[in-house]
Amino acid sequence: MIARWQAELGMAAFLAVIGVITIIGAREYGVGWSPSGPEPGAFPFYMGIIVLLASLANALRALVAGLRPALWSEQAFLKPEQMRLVLGFTLPILGLVVASLMLGLYVGMALYLFGTLVLQNRYPVLKASLIALATPVLAYFLIERVFKVAMLKGPLEAWLGL
Amino acid sequence: MDGFSGLLHGFGVALTWYHVMLMVIGVLLGILVGVLPGLGAPNGVSLLLPLTFTMDPVSAIILLTSMYWGALFGGSTTSILFNIPGEPSSVATTFDGYPMAQNGRATEALSFAFLSAGFGAIVGVLLITALSGWVTQFALKFSSPEFFGVYFLAFASFVGLSGAPPLKAAVSIALGFSLAAVGMDSVSGSLRLTFGYDVLLAGISFLVAVIGLFGIGELILTIEDGLKLDGIRAKITPRDVLRTAAQMPKHWATLLRSSIVGCWMGITPGGPTAASFMSYGLAKRFSAYRANFGKGEPDGVIAPETADHSAGTSAMLPMMALGLPGSATAAVMLGGLMIWGLNPGPMLFVERPDFVWGLIASMYLGNVVAVVLVLATVPLFASILRIPFAIIGPLIVVVCFIGAYTIAGRPFDLWLALAFGILGYVFKKLDYPIAPLILAMVIGDKAEDAFRQSMIMSKGSLSIFWSNPLVTSLMLLGLVLLFWPLLGALRQRLRAARS
Repeated sequence: MIARWQAELGMAAFLAVIGVITIIGAREYGVGWSPSGPEPGAFPFYMGIIVLLASLANALRALVAGLRPALWSEQAFLKPEQMRLVLGFTLPILGLVVASLMLGLYVGMALYLFGTLVLQNRYPVLKASLIALATPVLAYFLIERVFKVAMLKGPLEAWLGL
Repeated sequence: MDGFSGLLHGFGVALTWYHVMLMVIGVLLGILVGVLPGLGAPNGVSLLLPLTFTMDPVSAIILLTSMYWGALFGGSTTSILFNIPGEPSSVATTFDGYPMAQNGRATEALSFAFLSAGFGAIVGVLLITALSGWVTQFALKFSSPEFFGVYFLAFASFVGLSGAPPLKAAVSIALGFSLAAVGMDSVSGSLRLTFGYDVLLAGISFLVAVIGLFGIGELILTIEDGLKLDGIRAKITPRDVLRTAAQMPKHWATLLRSSIVGCWMGITPGGPTAASFMSYGLAKRFSAYRANFGKGEPDGVIAPETADHSAGTSAMLPMMALGLPGSATAAVMLGGLMIWGLNPGPMLFVERPDFVWGLIASMYLGNVVAVVLVLATVPLFASILRIPFAIIGPLIVVVCFIGAYTIAGRPFDLWLALAFGILGYVFKKLDYPIAPLILAMVIGDKAEDAFRQSMIMSKGSLSIFWSNPLVTSLMLLGLVLLFWPLLGALRQRLRAARS
């Protein structure tokens, strides 16, 4: 189980790092005053400082709460069964992204739909195949023919000459 | 051109067969995204926006705003029938809408919801019609410091009034501005915060952020709850609608109060969600049947719906007149305006009266179309939710990624959409507000430009923000709002010390 204060602390730390990265990146372009006004880095520099300081304060609050178990640590951020559901939904999306980048979005979505329906939700293969094939075909006609927008394509589309 | 003559001209623009057809399509698509979990108004508009790049701006904005109205209506449908708010702003509708439906009064609850929503929307548009000329005249006097003051005020009110933890609101806003700064700087031409990565040269699109934060993040959240859809069937007959409509005048006090709350929250960027909660709370406090709230009291449906829609429509006023969106969806549309090559702000009324008044007129028509369509199609759309989530969920994911890719045709945006999705999920769970992040991303460059121009005018002295009564009062009000939570805590401590 992940306790609420642990999640708060983790998020605050992550955001503080983002703040530091912003500050470092902004400093490359100067954060002071130039003859033509504030230098390009000035605005992001101060934004980075706000992110950093506010996140440090949030981290401190999370730590204080973590030290007083009665207050926050009772509160769960994610219970084990929820974690399973969340990962079971998010990891296939990661698969969708990777497959789409390698094989194009149409093939990626077909694999993703087939995978989630058959492997995860135990749908009959025939029904799942129908959904997994109909969706990209429908999407193709809607996107490329009706709206005339080009979609990310892979080797299959090249082979089909689409 | 202002007021009545402008509106007449606008009706001339909006009342063509093509535009009425766009309204119908927009409203239907809107109801669909409103009904589906994970797809809401900001997300739906983001998905549709790339497809409007080639359209005429007037037609495009009519399509997008109609989708917005449709989504607001769709969100209330699922609140009442399924106890699942399709939109954050229709959470308050579940409190009494679902109990009413459980008691066998689903039709009545839906009719009340749609009719009061329509009423709220019309009040919002009337307010825009009446005020836009005046606000524009006022805003034409603005120069850079005043614009920065307005932006400052808007973001300060997010920190002080939105109800989210102030420090987290501050993080969201500053993070949004930082993300907006990534890529080419419009003033100096330098490539900021790219760290040598080519994929970051063009910046991070706020549309990808919306699709991730609102769409995928929302879906993960839905999954986590172990979603069970247990809907109540409803059939709406014209006679039921008329019978409910006849009861509407009895609720005039709630309607009026909620419209005022909604308009206020829409114009100041409190947004529809805050408006609907506030209005529900007030209705409960003033009602003679206070004990009945939460068990199926019609006023408990009318109040949040009226406020939600009047806030949604009146949020268009600051968007057009000041370039300052009052809700996340308005922020996405504002981004659209800039992509279509329009310049939101007071000059829009001078340069493109056809656009502004066409939009305002379409808001009257679009909302009427929406009420009629939603009443006619509720059973159909409700049946979509009876498709198992195992199918609907992955399909929505696919639509989100297609949308993310169509924005600019960049494969990298797929990664960004996933990253923003996870970020959105954690943000929601930890009470980091998302709307201000989107707002900051959309108006980031404008706010920064206003700041830099002001600094150039004053040769680097911050005193320019105290240089005339107008900008001084904007900044002072902003500071009060910014430190409002601190003042509240102080007052509490004083009171505790006294007792």
